[in-house]
Amino acid sequence: MSEIPPLILLIEDDPQTRRFLKSSLMHRGWRILEADNGKTGLALVHSDNPDLMILDLGLPDMDGISVMKKLRQVSDLPVLILSARSQEQNKILALDAGADDYLTKPFGTGELHARLQALLRRAKRTVSSEVFETGELKVDLVNRKVFISGNEVRVTPIEFRLLSILIRHAGLVVKHHELLKEVWGSEHINDQHYLRIYMGQLRHKLEINPARPRYLLTEVGVGYRLAVD
Amino acid sequence: MQNPSTLKKRPTFLRKLPRGRELRGYAWGMAAPFVCTLINWPLQNILGEASILMIYLLGVFLVANHFGRGASILASLLSAPLFAFYFARPIFSLAISDLENIVGLGVMIVVANLTSNLQDKARLQAELARQRESRTKALYRLSQALAETGNQENVAVVAVQHIHDQFGAMSVLLFADEQGRLVYPEAEPLPFSLRATDLADAQRAFKLAKVQQRRNGCAPFYYPLMRSQTVLAVLAISFKASSIDSDPQLSAFFDTFCSLITQTLERLYLAGQAKDATLQAETESLRNALLSAISHDLRTPLTRISGAASTLIESGSECSEEEKQDLGKVILEEAQRMSDLTSKILNMARLSSGEIILHQDWNAVEEIVGGALTRLDKNLQGRPVRTQLPGSLPLVWIDAVLLEQVLVNLIENAIKYTPPGSPIDISAELLPATVRLTVSDYGDGIPKGMEEKLFDKFYRHETETQTSGVGLGLALCRAIVEAHGGAIKATNLAGKGAAFMIDLPMREPPSLNWDKAESATA
Repeated sequence: MSEIPPLILLIEDDPQTRRFLKSSLMHRGWRILEADNGKTGLALVHSDNPDLMILDLGLPDMDGISVMKKLRQVSDLPVLILSARSQEQNKILALDAGADDYLTKPFGTGELHARLQALLRRAKRTVSSEVFETGELKVDLVNRKVFISGNEVRVTPIEFRLLSILIRHAGLVVKHHELLKEVWGSEHINDQHYLRIYMGQLRHKLEINPARPRYLLTEVGVGYRLAVD
Repeated sequence: MQNPSTLKKRPTFLRKLPRGRELRGYAWGMAAPFVCTLINWPLQNILGEASILMIYLLGVFLVANHFGRGASILASLLSAPLFAFYFARPIFSLAISDLENIVGLGVMIVVANLTSNLQDKARLQAELARQRESRTKALYRLSQALAETGNQENVAVVAVQHIHDQFGAMSVLLFADEQGRLVYPEAEPLPFSLRATDLADAQRAFKLAKVQQRRNGCAPFYYPLMRSQTVLAVLAISFKASSIDSDPQLSAFFDTFCSLITQTLERLYLAGQAKDATLQAETESLRNALLSAISHDLRTPLTRISGAASTLIESGSECSEEEKQDLGKVILEEAQRMSDLTSKILNMARLSSGEIILHQDWNAVEEIVGGALTRLDKNLQGRPVRTQLPGSLPLVWIDAVLLEQVLVNLIENAIKYTPPGSPIDISAELLPATVRLTVSDYGDGIPKGMEEKLFDKFYRHETETQTSGVGLGLALCRAIVEAHGGAIKATNLAGKGAAFMIDLPMREPPSLNWDKAESATA
């Protein structure tokens, strides 16, 4: 156990929420830095160089979106947004401003840990660049082959491309726009119907019940997420 | 408008016959005696003088019958000398020796006068009856048309049109705005709308509740249309000929016309007030219902949370690990319930205040269903959910976030009101113009007659039950579906429980450029 546990910067103005998040995260062996406003938070990014940031959207001094914008000018630090359900639109704005994922309040700590793990995994590039496996799904990224329970599934080039983008962000949300831009090019950034059709096809090939997906989850109004164990 | 002194005058339209007919009448009055003379001349040896006089009388009578008094008097006055000259002894002289003939002539003149008077009266009666009938019909037509109007603008259109049809006058109906200032109508003027109105005059009529007219004859009149003390509108009207004041019957008719219009305006005015009142009452009772529902439904989980939390704090050391876990679960579940509830209340408030804007895009039904089921994974607790979504379903143009909420609410209801472990079916089908989504369960179904009431705000299956909820879920569903131009209804399915059907309007999805889409990866 020579590895230093990751340092997490928590920007949240509500002390109670901060307390429960802190105790839960420390329980997992992570180190915590706290800030109760955006300015202090951004200063801590400079001074302490954390591995990950948890950012609440509603802060007293500046809103989360501005924090995101300021942060992205200087750092690639992975950021997880915490938002209330009434802040749907802000959530999307924050993602557009460079946040990596979000969690809607109220949430369970299990969910929080899974997201943080996914973020750290991607930041450390521990996602295997050759083979991706979760549940019954196995994807050979080098030979472009997809397997379900060991049986190969034929996918079209576009379907594979979609899948590989989701794998690159495994466990994290990928916005509609990002997928459209990466697969079809920026001129198709608003053609959401492309995505619907291809995601539908992919689900029919990979999921046992496409209407109750296990891997290719929909983040309604935002994008898609590849679920990982 | 009604001036008693003018009431006794004969109505304008009867005072004179049309000019052409009048001239023709006098021509006939002139000609008839000569015609009678020509007829009588060959018969003078056969007929007695009295009979000859009768023929003249017949002529006069016919003229009276056809052309009225003036012509008949002319005929009788002309007949007299002709008879005296040609037939009454001494012949070829205007002198009459026979007393009998003088009496005959006198009688003829009197009879001619009397009959023509009678004729005139009969004609007058007939004309009046005809006029009355046509006016009654006009009033009937007006009231029919007014009965169908639903707002002031429609009343204005109907009024202006009928006034033009009936009086040949251009008019316009002016209403006051909230500040009590008369304003020009916003609607497109009709071909017979009066345009040259003076708002200052109209305003005076409105304020003083008195008819206003400028001295010069052709300027429009401004009639205040009044209900008890309130002026509802001002009718500006410009008659083609001189004013209608000189014809009391026409004037009275116009009054009736206006009062019909006024009554309609009053009806609308009162209906508006009644609507405002019910709306106010509704909002009031809605607010009360909301408050009591919220206080009940928020208090219940709050009680449980604080109970569990204080147990943990006070006697946490004595609790077993398992008990602690249970208490923690209670807190978590109740907190979740409160969170759901508050977001429902928030959504409802935002929807009903029109604050929510639909972010519509092309979406797959399967994805929305999947999203809802993923969100409810915990609540479903291994209940069988059977989905039947044909692959041929087109994409739908919807706000995915809101529609997912609808499905979540419907599935939650099914979970809440059916026995644990009983299946839930979700299906979609393609109808001619809509895509229908059905969520059905195997519970007891919806109580009869409640299929509509379910969707009311704050409706609850039973007033006080263990199953909590403010009764906002279905109201929210309806609001969302209707905002999409769709419809939602509830029914019971034979051999099953309740079924909720959402019909979403179908739109032509954009074409998918397959070649381009697929070649982009090459």
